[in-house]
Amino acid sequence: MIRFLTKMVAAAALVAVAAGGTALAQPAKPECLAGAKPGGGFDLTCRLAANALLATKQISQPMAVTYMEGGVGAVAYNHVIAKRAKDGNLITAASSGSALLIAQGKFGQYDENAVRWLGALGADYGVLVVNADSPYKTLKDLVEAYKADPSSFAIAGGGAVGSQDWMKASLLAKAAGQEPKKMHYAALEGGGAVLTALEGGHVQVGSGDAAEMVKHHVAGKVRILAVMAPQRLTGALADVPTAHEQGFDIDWPIWRGYYVGKDVSDADFDWWVKAFEAASKTPEFAKEREERGLFEFTMIGKPFDERVKADVARFKQLAKDAGM
Amino acid sequence: MNLDYLWHGFAVALTGQNLLVGLIGCFIGTLVGALPAIGPINGIALLLPIAYSMGLPAESTMILLSAIYCGAEYGGRISSILLNVPGDAGAVMTALDGYPMARQGRAGEALTLSGISSFVGGILGSIGLALFAPVLASLAIGFGPAEYFVLMVFAFATLGSMVGNQPVKTLIGCTLGLMLATVGLDATSGAYRFTFNQPELGDGIEFVVLVIGLFSISEALVILEHQGRGFTVIRELGRMTVRAADVARCTGTMLRSSVIGFVVGVLPGTGASVSSAIAYTTEKRLSDTEDTFGKGDVRGLAAPEAANNATACGAFVPMLTLGIPGSGTTAVMLGALMLYNIQPGPMLLTERPEIVGGLVASLFIGNFLLLLLNLPLVNIFARVLTVPNWLLVPGILVLSIVGVYSSHASVFAIFLMFGIGMAGWLLRKAGFDMAPIILGFVLGHVMEINLRNALAISGGELSILFSSAICIVLWVMAAAVAVLPTILSWRSRRLKVARTARMAATDG
Amino acid sequence: MSDKAGTAHLIGRISALCLFGLAVAYGIGGASIEYAFSSDPLGPRMVPVGLAIILGLLCLLYVRSPGTAEAFPSGRLLWRVLAVPLLLVVCIAIFETVGFAVSIFLLTFGTGLIFGAPLGYAAVGAAGHAALWWFIFSYLLQVYLPTGTLFG
Repeated sequence: MIRFLTKMVAAAALVAVAAGGTALAQPAKPECLAGAKPGGGFDLTCRLAANALLATKQISQPMAVTYMEGGVGAVAYNHVIAKRAKDGNLITAASSGSALLIAQGKFGQYDENAVRWLGALGADYGVLVVNADSPYKTLKDLVEAYKADPSSFAIAGGGAVGSQDWMKASLLAKAAGQEPKKMHYAALEGGGAVLTALEGGHVQVGSGDAAEMVKHHVAGKVRILAVMAPQRLTGALADVPTAHEQGFDIDWPIWRGYYVGKDVSDADFDWWVKAFEAASKTPEFAKEREERGLFEFTMIGKPFDERVKADVARFKQLAKDAGM
Repeated sequence: MNLDYLWHGFAVALTGQNLLVGLIGCFIGTLVGALPAIGPINGIALLLPIAYSMGLPAESTMILLSAIYCGAEYGGRISSILLNVPGDAGAVMTALDGYPMARQGRAGEALTLSGISSFVGGILGSIGLALFAPVLASLAIGFGPAEYFVLMVFAFATLGSMVGNQPVKTLIGCTLGLMLATVGLDATSGAYRFTFNQPELGDGIEFVVLVIGLFSISEALVILEHQGRGFTVIRELGRMTVRAADVARCTGTMLRSSVIGFVVGVLPGTGASVSSAIAYTTEKRLSDTEDTFGKGDVRGLAAPEAANNATACGAFVPMLTLGIPGSGTTAVMLGALMLYNIQPGPMLLTERPEIVGGLVASLFIGNFLLLLLNLPLVNIFARVLTVPNWLLVPGILVLSIVGVYSSHASVFAIFLMFGIGMAGWLLRKAGFDMAPIILGFVLGHVMEINLRNALAISGGELSILFSSAICIVLWVMAAAVAVLPTILSWRSRRLKVARTARMAATDG
Repeated sequence: MSDKAGTAHLIGRISALCLFGLAVAYGIGGASIEYAFSSDPLGPRMVPVGLAIILGLLCLLYVRSPGTAEAFPSGRLLWRVLAVPLLLVVCIAIFETVGFAVSIFLLTFGTGLIFGAPLGYAAVGAAGHAALWWFIFSYLLQVYLPTGTLFG
């Protein structure tokens, strides 16, 4: 049966080759490396590129998604640098979380200059949530209450001290004029656990990502107080104000992008840039991105490279401010 | 209670395509479970991309994946019994009595009986899932970090009966497991602990690496040492039928263990490895009056098998009702739902009843299919294992290497597995048992994180550990299981003394 | 004291000593974990240090009652038992360089011989292993397996 399935897939690929036939020198064996288990954020990022490039006929054969779990992408980062620096077939998924870890020196001996940053195809945004029956209706309410009695607030996030979720929570503490170090912060295993802890009343505030929290916001189980985006998000969160609107300079985009090895030839790199640019302009791509709960954030080539480096510098400053 | 969704689900699950998909899933699942190196999570992760690229509808994909999941819980017992190498994490305990039975020439009986136990656990778990999903979901939400910590205290208290005849070695094994669990990124402070600047150790020691190392590498050496002495892999299955008396003896065990397994499955973050351990130790505590557990007692075989299959079903409760994974495997299945742009959560049942209903109904159908596959056709799966040592042991080594490589794609992980295997072999020579290490590892993770999160929430106040009704009930239960055996043994000794005295009196 | 009990005592004492050494090393390592700060009062060092103390105390109990142990193999069997890990180390080390097929053939051929298979049987069996597992994992399950960087 599986053999039969494999043949079906192979046949589909052949049809695609016959129909596509792009003139550019496309990679012979396109591959996307996800630095995590199947089903995680990096997998989603890889599948976005794989599906979008195939659906828009930028590649004529399906892109393989491979997995290399470890250290939230650190193992994959080191692998690409050490073993596949020249491989023009390979793109590797990254996110702003990768930039945060690089800034904290948690990606090993290598810094952000050890790879070539290719582009980002979507983003998610940080949110602060409270239980649906919480007395706090706006971010301002919460900040005021936190300022008055910081020790009565337990905040939960899906990561350790220094992670993105902790950083978002620390921005709340800072807005209230409190020291991030003294937060009662519980590091839970991912957004699902944060939701359960909120619903069970074990913590009062949750720090998370918009895409994960939106369905629970719509279902009326939790309330998103603010999105950490430059402007309001589209779709179900259109009625949730940004932190900026509420008078707080809090911003936390989580871009999802890709890098290639340092020694990949300019010709190969340019091919990927062109393919990404062409694909990102199509409605098929927008559909693929929305299906994965991501918001628009297309930044390819040089601007993305600059963005990553600026992010790393910003995260270094934030970590320093927080006393890490 | 409105069960319309279930009847609707049967209509979905009984279509030709979904029956075929379910059957394929059951077969692959049993095979994946039987092979020691790969577990349900690998099987599901590997088949999900194929199902998705084939264009199967969401409900068919979920039926395929849940069939693999349940099939793996059935299949895990085969290598536990015949090889003494657990096929997957939930079958660690199955080897304790299953392998001795096989050594006594009762492998066929053990396979049949554990097949029946798996079926009982699976069906009871499915019924539980269908009926109690909404009710139990509200209980699970009461579990915060403090409650989880006390739950783990309870779990360790039940392990007291595992102590056996060399208590110091069991405790050292547990401690070693707890120590191994501290390797990697500290979930609270974000510090790296004992990683020696190796990025591969950043996420800690993977369960697969530890289990394969401890059980299969050291096993290969033990097989070699004992080769001349006739202790080899069990190839004689013996008769394939079970005694009615054995089934009758196990009925209570199966029912109790199914309930334990289901409840543990419902709680997020705990899986078949925990539930089978709790079921086994509970059963040992309740029924092991003649010290036959660990020596081929049918009840010691039935308990973990009923429990791990019920756990597989229980894990669907938080996944389908809250959108929270109850185990690593259900986490991958949640990812599968999201691929189809379906948001798991409380709205799922009302919005997509064909998925929830179809999945639940397919579990009932799947358990019958699995019983058929695993009783008359168990020979086919066992045949994989009935090959001479010089052909089989290299196969175990290859599977170990590929199993680790398939999830990590790194030679470092294979070396780590090898190192753990060699350490395990030395410990086995010194008379240590491997199971306490595994248990310490599994429970240690959950225990430390939740204790520290509870204290982070309370700002260091220990009172949070006694603040809820669930906590207090769990503390009382933990104290009871720790004290009860002493009382029971004291009472039975007293009864014995009284009886001897009475007999002496009548004699006189 | 019988010979067997004597061996068990010796093995017990040696392994208790090794475990005690592990406890000390682990405890020192645990006490020197670097971290900026933690959001909980225990921090990342407390649990490892506690476990090291527990293991150290258990080792003292272990020395007093070493229990049973199994004698290590001797003579030719010892060499056969040691040959397996040696072969494993070599084959794992060359796994990515020479690829799955070659290293697995070497591993299965070698272990086949160690386990007493006749030369021809071991060779055929090893070829079968390499082919079968390649077929199952690479072709059926589509797991990535190294083809060997030596061969491009």
